Amino acid sequence: MKFKNFLILMIVLLVSLSACAPEPIEEPATAEEEQTDEPVESVEEVDGLPQACLDDAFGCAVIPQGETIKIGMGAPLLGDYSMFGTDISQGVSLALQVDDGFEGWTYELVAEDTGGAPEAGAAVANKMVTDPTVVAIAGHIFSGSTEAAMPIYEKAGLPMMSPSATEPGLTQQGSKVFNRLAFTDADQGMFAANLLFSQLGFSKIAVMHDGGSYGQGLADVVQAEFEALGGEVVAYEAITPGEADYVAPLSAVASTGPEAVYFGGYAAEAIVMMNQWSQAGLDDVLFFGCDGTYGVEFTDKTGANGEGAIAVSLVPPDSEEKSAFDQQYGEQFGVEAGELSAFSWSAFDTGGVLIAAIEKVAFVEGNNLFVPRGALVEAVRNSNYVGLTGLVKCDEVGECNASGPTFYQVVDRVWLPLE
Amino acid sequence: MIKKFQNLNITWGTALRYIAGLIVAVYLLWRILQTTSIQGSYGPDTWMRFLITGLVIGGIYSLIAIGYTLVYGILFMINFAHGEVMMLGTFAGYFVLEAFAAISAPGSGDQSLSLLNAYPFPALVITFFVGASVSALIGYLLEKIAYRPLRGAQRLIPLISAIGASIFLQNAAQLLFGPQRRQYTNPDLLWRGTGWMIPVGEKSVMLTYTGTFSFILSILLMAGLLILVKKTRLGKSMRAVAENKQAAALMGIDVDAVISKTFIISGFLAGAAGVMWGIHNGLFNHYVGFIPGIKAFTAAVLGGVGNIPGAMVGGMLLGLLESLGPAILGIDFQLKDVIAFTILILVLIFRPSGLLGETLKEDKV
Amino acid sequence: MITAIKDGLRAGLITAIIFTFLILIGFTSVAANIIGDILGNPQVLNNETRLPVGNLLIFIALVGLFTGLVTLKKGSNPPWTDVLFRGLTGGILAGLIVGTVIYIVGSFHMEGVDFRAYLPNLGASQLGYLLFYSTPIAASKTYLLYFTVFSLVGALARKTLTMLTGLRNKLKSIKSQIIDWSDKKNFHSLVGNQLFQAGLIILVGIGLYFLPLVWGSYWNYIMGTVAIYILLGLGLNIIVGFSGQLVLGYVAFFATGAYTFALLTAPEPHAVGLNLWVAVGLSTLVSILTGLLLGLPILRLRGDYLAIVTLGFGEIVRILIRSDLLTPLTNGPKGVTNVGQPIWRGHVFSDVNYMHLLMLLVLAGLFIAKRLKDSRTGRAWIAIREDQTVAQATGVDTYKYKILALLLGAAFAGLSGALFASRNQFTGPEDFALMVSVNVLCIVIIGGMGSLPGIILGAFVLKGLPELLRELADYRLLAFGALLVVMMIVRPEGLWPGQNSKKGKMATFSNSLGEDNLEEKV
Repeated sequence: MKFKNFLILMIVLLVSLSACAPEPIEEPATAEEEQTDEPVESVEEVDGLPQACLDDAFGCAVIPQGETIKIGMGAPLLGDYSMFGTDISQGVSLALQVDDGFEGWTYELVAEDTGGAPEAGAAVANKMVTDPTVVAIAGHIFSGSTEAAMPIYEKAGLPMMSPSATEPGLTQQGSKVFNRLAFTDADQGMFAANLLFSQLGFSKIAVMHDGGSYGQGLADVVQAEFEALGGEVVAYEAITPGEADYVAPLSAVASTGPEAVYFGGYAAEAIVMMNQWSQAGLDDVLFFGCDGTYGVEFTDKTGANGEGAIAVSLVPPDSEEKSAFDQQYGEQFGVEAGELSAFSWSAFDTGGVLIAAIEKVAFVEGNNLFVPRGALVEAVRNSNYVGLTGLVKCDEVGECNASGPTFYQVVDRVWLPLE
Repeated sequence: MIKKFQNLNITWGTALRYIAGLIVAVYLLWRILQTTSIQGSYGPDTWMRFLITGLVIGGIYSLIAIGYTLVYGILFMINFAHGEVMMLGTFAGYFVLEAFAAISAPGSGDQSLSLLNAYPFPALVITFFVGASVSALIGYLLEKIAYRPLRGAQRLIPLISAIGASIFLQNAAQLLFGPQRRQYTNPDLLWRGTGWMIPVGEKSVMLTYTGTFSFILSILLMAGLLILVKKTRLGKSMRAVAENKQAAALMGIDVDAVISKTFIISGFLAGAAGVMWGIHNGLFNHYVGFIPGIKAFTAAVLGGVGNIPGAMVGGMLLGLLESLGPAILGIDFQLKDVIAFTILILVLIFRPSGLLGETLKEDKV
Repeated sequence: MITAIKDGLRAGLITAIIFTFLILIGFTSVAANIIGDILGNPQVLNNETRLPVGNLLIFIALVGLFTGLVTLKKGSNPPWTDVLFRGLTGGILAGLIVGTVIYIVGSFHMEGVDFRAYLPNLGASQLGYLLFYSTPIAASKTYLLYFTVFSLVGALARKTLTMLTGLRNKLKSIKSQIIDWSDKKNFHSLVGNQLFQAGLIILVGIGLYFLPLVWGSYWNYIMGTVAIYILLGLGLNIIVGFSGQLVLGYVAFFATGAYTFALLTAPEPHAVGLNLWVAVGLSTLVSILTGLLLGLPILRLRGDYLAIVTLGFGEIVRILIRSDLLTPLTNGPKGVTNVGQPIWRGHVFSDVNYMHLLMLLVLAGLFIAKRLKDSRTGRAWIAIREDQTVAQATGVDTYKYKILALLLGAAFAGLSGALFASRNQFTGPEDFALMVSVNVLCIVIIGGMGSLPGIILGAFVLKGLPELLRELADYRLLAFGALLVVMMIVRPEGLWPGQNSKKGKMATFSNSLGEDNLEEKV
């Protein structure tokens, strides 16, 4: 009996160890991706490295012919937040797909599941840096996961471009690799508070958030800013995300008599809130959302209840490129862009920005494509790119959204730009 | 004196328990007094809204909690995958309603009038029935595949199996139907956010159609279940099996069949609760069962797990606690689960088998 | 004959359902790709929009074989004609069902119906592949043919196999009578040799020292997580495995440990800047105090009541950490960044250092747990676990021992929490969800309750396996859930059960009378 147990242990250990070991070389036929480990060893034989690679602080990614240029992503693909990860990975992969490649090399997205948790974010980052053909990271998706992954990419010299990590502190840590397309909570909150107070002329608002770092960050800024402008915040309430009944907190807010309710959070909660708006006695009160609540999903699922709601987006009103993207996205994935999350367009641009930066620094020598990593980090920081979300130009800390927000209002079940 | 004290058999733990209880009780009373009469921060209309929403959610919790309690009463296991059973019922109901909404009503001549809006009540009845039946089927299969081979294993083994089944079902639903949130297409009559306006004080409060509908249906289902358990032959054999499996088997009761039927009934109720969830709240995805599952489990324990009226009371109480608790105590609504769980802990400290639970025999626990 | 047809139909129905499920979750094309990879077939043909049909056919053939294999029950050895019937009926039924499904779906697809709004995996490319890029009727005929033929082959193969193993067993038994005895003795004497044991330990030690140096940062990270979960498992094992108290909120102690450490060492939000080793001690202490706070009032509860109360406590801790109320103290949902890292010989701990530290701690933890188990205290716990009333009657202060178990468990959790925060350099409320408690409980039970080697195995399975299954991408949690169920059914006593985990009276599932073999009696 004991010996049997010993055997079982040995087998399990062997299995796990064999999985830890580098890919076996005697089995070159297994999965294309697995072969990617080999180039590292063969790098030395490629008649010495080009000078640009030797000069680079992080060396070069060497991609042999027939391989793809990989862009990594850590995203919640499974579990409660999977719609964000699925949407953003689809957006980025579409960008990589429409690009016709660089000198015969094509791009590939390697998206790994983080479930949205910081711990798994670090695990994915550690996995990404072991793959030598991953040159850049589109992501991560949530601020916590990004926070945990940043130091790992920093060490390996992998540039990041996040379409959705909005925590203001992320760019305040002096990171060289981290950039984002998303708008920081600080900027967005300021714009929103100004609009509420100065342009819409409200003096009494309530501020709500979903208890996440994104929502809380926004709500705090709006509260501070609105009070600084001279307005009054009559209620500040947080809800539990993922529930389906918010009548109780909404009624509590309603009893304080606000003229508008600012909500920091995502569409899922906003839709439920909107549908319970009149149940809570908030009939004449304006709903003011953020860039997490913008999107087709909101208008689709609130119907008449959502009339008059306001939200923000980075995406300027319809352009030709946007409708082309919308159509292609819908055809390819069977859902409308903006249906799964509000980040479809930023995700597409993230892919575009990274491709543009790679093409700036990459060069071909012999049968290999070389991407100097340090130079790529700088190239991403120096991006100057026009995409669906307008101009993408990073400042010195990595805030890359240069075109400012557009406010939208629901009129007849469609988001229209606010005058 | 000291001797007398010892005779009372008060240990430090008990003393601490009662002192803590006293402090909490005094604090609660003071808070309630403050928020209701001294501050008076909420008007009567707001209290009414809290009450209504608490009852509706409580009804749904009760239905799911009964499933936990039924299974626990017979097998003494926590059916961790019960929330997922409910989730699949929600999906099934959604597809039925979509089908009704897509087909136009025959004979009306109006192409835009769907079957759903032409015959809303028959359509809803069918939806409920299909949703509940799918959940019942899943419950049956779950028991047959994941739990039955484990009869006689250690107590915690089926719990792990249930956790595995829960993870499997959740991911299966995501892979089958995609990660996006979906929304129930209600008939126009029962659209979310519509209802009767009841005047309360100077204002009027909305009593939603969907909420009323859900609440009445959950009461009916619970009454039906009570009758089934108390009056029918199946109910008697269920109680017999719960009491003593071996004796029941000797009396000619097919224990396995009774256990199967228990899972079918609990699945049926969970499925009905799932469809209610969809009709009342609208939004759902593959994750919809998880939180109600945990809440309902809490409710079942609060009322006394294994006790059917206990699960009903526990569910209603939990629903009310969630909506009224933060308001009464005057703290953030974000902390409503903290209140619910704290009350649970307090109840169990003073009544270790829940509100209505009998004291279980040693060997059952 | 009737039973043969019945068995065949059953197997056919089951495989048809499984196969349809695989189609609907989009796994068929993934499986075909994997087969293509293994065989070295090109993934994409010249015409880029089409996938190679051969790979899919191989997959269908494999499923067909499976149908045939399961038409025969384990241990049975029916006559050949019977086998023929079983294989045929199973294959035909499975082929008919799958063929019909493909035909229906395919016809709708040809008419331009888009299923993706409801079933996202039935997109045009996937459906085209499933139809072998031909007409629905031709495709469904192919399915029927493949299922029938390969099911038959499978059934016959299994029959042949059983015959062969029967022969082999006979041979073996004769052979073993001659050789086995001396062999076994040799092996035992070798294992029993102290020199050999010492050598083995040194070898394993050297291996453990060098492994982190060679296997790279990713595996250091994963194995580090596994090590942290081993520590957590050891701690929860004291509570659940030794003393038999079902605690579902173990994450609360883990969270208090992690947060205490993070808040004491991180520059934000408090900038305490405490010495790291003092902080580790303090976080362990705070976790123990939390355990005391929780344990004193509630440890009188038993079984599932205790489970739900502790579950609630875990949730309370998590909700409070991320709430607005405690944001000034804990930094709320944003979490704590730049958590302190130890410094070793002038440079900050690298992943290799962490791995070594964790390995040392795991060894120490194993040693402590082992000594505890064999001590007087350990025996008291086991007495409580097996029968609390009897334990009390024999003079064991059950309350005291239960609290002691909880405190020790909390200490382990606090320590691993501190390590977790330090290694990740970050700690946030999302890391302390209910599923952490559930995972640790699974570790304890999968390995075998109360068994120490079992915990190591369990941690590898629970935290290592999902990482290994990453190759399965979207399907990994699905596979993981199914594996958990299968593992429990196949080895309900755990992977490496402890010696004294009997099927005790109190520990038996489903039967209030403590009769173990209900099945036979009913």
